[in-house]
Amino acid sequence: MTDEHHVDDEGNLDDVGPGFMEAADHSVGEGVQGYLMGLVLAALLTVASFYVLHTNLIWGPGIVVMLVVLAIAQIGVHLVFFLHLTTAPDNTNNIFALAFGILIVILIIGGSIWIMHHLNERMMPMSGMM
Amino acid sequence: MSATEVLRSAHPPDIDPYRVGHGGGHDYATGHGEGGPASKRVIVGYGFWLFLLSDIVLFSCLFAAHAVLQTATAGGPTGPQLFDPRSVALETACLLTSSFTCGLSAVAAGARNQLWTQVFLLVTGVLGLSFLLLEAHDFAAMMARGASPQVSAFWSSFFAVVGCHGSHVTVGLLWLGTMMAQVFFKGFRPSIMRRLVCFNLFWHMLDIIWVALFTIVYLIGEGR
Amino acid sequence: MWLGKLSLNAIPFDQPIPLVAGGVVFLVLLAVIAWIIIRGHLPYLWHEWITSVDHKRIGVMYTILGLVMLLRGFVDAIMMRSQQALAFRAPGYLPPEHYDQVFSAHGTIMIFFAAMPLMIGLMNFAVPLQLGVRDVAFPTFNSTSFWLTATGALLVNISLVIGEFSRAMWLPYPPLSELRYSPGVGVDYYLWSLQIAGVGTLLTGINFVTTILKIRAPGMSYLRMPVFCWTALAANLLIIAAFPVLTATLGMLLLDRYLGFHFFTNAGGGNMMMFVNLIWAWGHPEVYILVLPAFGVFSEVIATFSGKPLFGYRSMVAATMAICLISFLVWLHHFFTMGAGGDVNGVFGIATAIIAVPTGVKIFNWMFTMYGGRIRFTTPMLWALGFTVTFVIGGMTGVLLSVPPADFLVHNSLFLVAHFHNVIIAGVLFGAFAGITYWFPKAFGFRLHEGWGKAAFWFSFAGFYVTFVPLYAVGLLGMTRRLQTYDVAAWRPWVLAAGVGILVLCIALACQVMQFIVSIRQRESLRDVTGDPWNGRSLEWSTASPPPAFNYAVLPNVQGEEPYWEIKRRAIETQQLVAEPDYKSIEMPRNSPTGFITAFFCTITGFALIWHIWWLVGLGLFGAYVVFVWFAWRDREEQIIPADEVARVDRARRRVREQWLAQNAREQWLAAHAETGEPA
Repeated sequence: MTDEHHVDDEGNLDDVGPGFMEAADHSVGEGVQGYLMGLVLAALLTVASFYVLHTNLIWGPGIVVMLVVLAIAQIGVHLVFFLHLTTAPDNTNNIFALAFGILIVILIIGGSIWIMHHLNERMMPMSGMM
Repeated sequence: MSATEVLRSAHPPDIDPYRVGHGGGHDYATGHGEGGPASKRVIVGYGFWLFLLSDIVLFSCLFAAHAVLQTATAGGPTGPQLFDPRSVALETACLLTSSFTCGLSAVAAGARNQLWTQVFLLVTGVLGLSFLLLEAHDFAAMMARGASPQVSAFWSSFFAVVGCHGSHVTVGLLWLGTMMAQVFFKGFRPSIMRRLVCFNLFWHMLDIIWVALFTIVYLIGEGR
Repeated sequence: MWLGKLSLNAIPFDQPIPLVAGGVVFLVLLAVIAWIIIRGHLPYLWHEWITSVDHKRIGVMYTILGLVMLLRGFVDAIMMRSQQALAFRAPGYLPPEHYDQVFSAHGTIMIFFAAMPLMIGLMNFAVPLQLGVRDVAFPTFNSTSFWLTATGALLVNISLVIGEFSRAMWLPYPPLSELRYSPGVGVDYYLWSLQIAGVGTLLTGINFVTTILKIRAPGMSYLRMPVFCWTALAANLLIIAAFPVLTATLGMLLLDRYLGFHFFTNAGGGNMMMFVNLIWAWGHPEVYILVLPAFGVFSEVIATFSGKPLFGYRSMVAATMAICLISFLVWLHHFFTMGAGGDVNGVFGIATAIIAVPTGVKIFNWMFTMYGGRIRFTTPMLWALGFTVTFVIGGMTGVLLSVPPADFLVHNSLFLVAHFHNVIIAGVLFGAFAGITYWFPKAFGFRLHEGWGKAAFWFSFAGFYVTFVPLYAVGLLGMTRRLQTYDVAAWRPWVLAAGVGILVLCIALACQVMQFIVSIRQRESLRDVTGDPWNGRSLEWSTASPPPAFNYAVLPNVQGEEPYWEIKRRAIETQQLVAEPDYKSIEMPRNSPTGFITAFFCTITGFALIWHIWWLVGLGLFGAYVVFVWFAWRDREEQIIPADEVARVDRARRRVREQWLAQNAREQWLAAHAETGEPA
């Protein structure tokens, strides 16, 4: 991305919306290159995920961790190459919103798994239940 | 002079945008600091971004339910018994490529090229439709082998989370069709461009959710 | 087949209470609509209100919806208290099947269709004015949000006369809410009405976060925003984070009921506790969504009527955002007794206790704001003072409940019921009334009658204590909530006392109604001429009452906190207003019937889904899609207000202000400040 702030239609310093790639900032070639890079990286990570499952390269219990790491990496590739999220100051609001969303997701999924696991552990054993 | 110009003229050049070590600075960008209201395209983009994040929270509940109900197969068939990894790989390829072509349509729209924009949007739609058809075929096959959502909680949560993604893709295709029509009839005026950006965000987000989906549901489920 | 499950049996001919109530409401509605049409008010209503995308109008409509539904919820409360007062070793007058619907409806209506609309209405009206801008980020979405909420309210009220309402409590725990144990349409009415209203609320959340973060007057950095805008930001962030959870969880229950899924059923491996877990992951942030804007209202009111700036602005902001964050870490405290074990209970119990700390910071800041100020005991200030005392008590019982071993004794007792009514009434309801009384002159150009307002306050204050303190007592004596009948003699005096309390609250309600009637009749004598009836401190008081559609002829240039106070001070010192600005034409969003028509189709779709009229569902969805495309196709999104119109309106405002300046303003100012010792 550029080092300068963007300007809006009136010439004022402007923030950057998410997903934005100003036509003035790049040529068609650069734009295509960015998306192509994203496609290649994402494809590699996808192939790696499928491969990891069926190979002896990773120690068994580590497979789940590896899959999660690969998924996070691929999501990162999407965010950077397809959604054009950067750490520039005019992108700060977008990053904060994303961080907030991720926090909520972690709390909901993590919290629910933790709580439900404890509840299930402390349930009396059910006999005759399906 | 506009308010922004007055403020900006007192503002040194931007070699240190974060003001590291200087306790933060004033930020005269519109819509961000003290520069006044942001432009419409920033407002629309940011609002849509927030909507997508709320959609991710919705998916996270379905993921949480699926995680909790992993073992609740009620004596019926389990996931690994019935998942078809080749089909999943094919679906992933379709969706990922459609994300790429969607990005290309954004580049074409940025260059105001009607033909290529429509071509790439169409290819995106075709790939998206292929994804849906493959998924529908998978669902039918699984149900024929005794794994319908009415069989057990595991299958309920599976069909709910994958189906929710699929219905988002369906709505996305409806939106895609509408966008193609709008671009054709109205050209590249600012409101249409804003909507195209929103559509792009939406379509890429669907692929991001699919990455999480195939990892958690299919691959990790397979690995258990 | 064509009518699904619907038939004439759906109308409760055999139940006099809902039949008569529904009949009366229907006739009143018909009379009102007939009067509107016959007197020729329909075009005005359509153009100025129904299709309006103006945040001020939408705010007023939300508030009206909230007040009407507050009335409906209050009638349910009267029924509950009177039933319990009569039902000692007796059946009372409400059979259990009916009583269950009453308490389910009471909770649902009060939270979703009274409290939420009241808070959202206040935020809608005040936030853009306080930020110094012309409207919210997405005005048409704003209108859609309101009409979708109204659709939800409509569906719940239709259930009174066509079919039945849910008997499964305001949060429909499975397996009671599953098809097996609730085969009727009641739970479906509840679910679809909330799903539809939930979409509206989510849109509001997105709208306001975008507005507050991206659309502010020039010079208004984050730390120069009024505290009400900070609390609105926190509440709307919570809406974005929490409402999808509600949609997903109720969606899973709908899948169970409609398509035979097994998320929460007994059979097939379903897990009922997961519903409880997820619904409270929404439910706890929800109560903070309700109370945070009320905290913001009190910050504005207390500062204004103490004649001092709010004490500790930065700590208020920090406390608000801390509450926003921590509110997502405490949800298990709603089901301590469900067996998660000591570790889990301990973590959530401690987090719950911790959330009292930033709240306490706020209370102290309000008290320090009042200290050394010259307090004017107007109606909004009385509501704020009543809140301060009452909410602290409710908060303390909350900290008591946050200790898991203590909660084991009083979970689901009337002690719990008293606690949450304590905090919601003192917080949300008093905040709503404070905000309404405070901003009413801005919205309508005349103040509310002080005498009736004060009477309403005192009866509400007393009525709250007479109703709910006995419930604390009887809860500690072991009385469970939601009892249709009981036979423990020790409980009887307390239940009767609570019955008396509800009568006091009835008087309070009558005073509120009188307040509005008398104020409207005497509006000329209560006229707010200048637009600043309270000697306000924030930007909205710089506009005329009511403000023009475009709010500000020129967006103000904000230099510090409390920008309007600065403007006023300078004007009084120099005895003149700032120079007349260079008026330019202003672009405003066009009105649109989209919101109303979308809601219309959603009402049809919702009703059809409830009664299983599948062809009508398809029609409704198709209609909604058509509206969306038709709206997306319009060419002109904005209307231009010409520069001379802007100039004319603004010059009228300036003339009024200049007159005010000329008439003793300086003396009043000096007199007011001599007492506080603040530099004039």
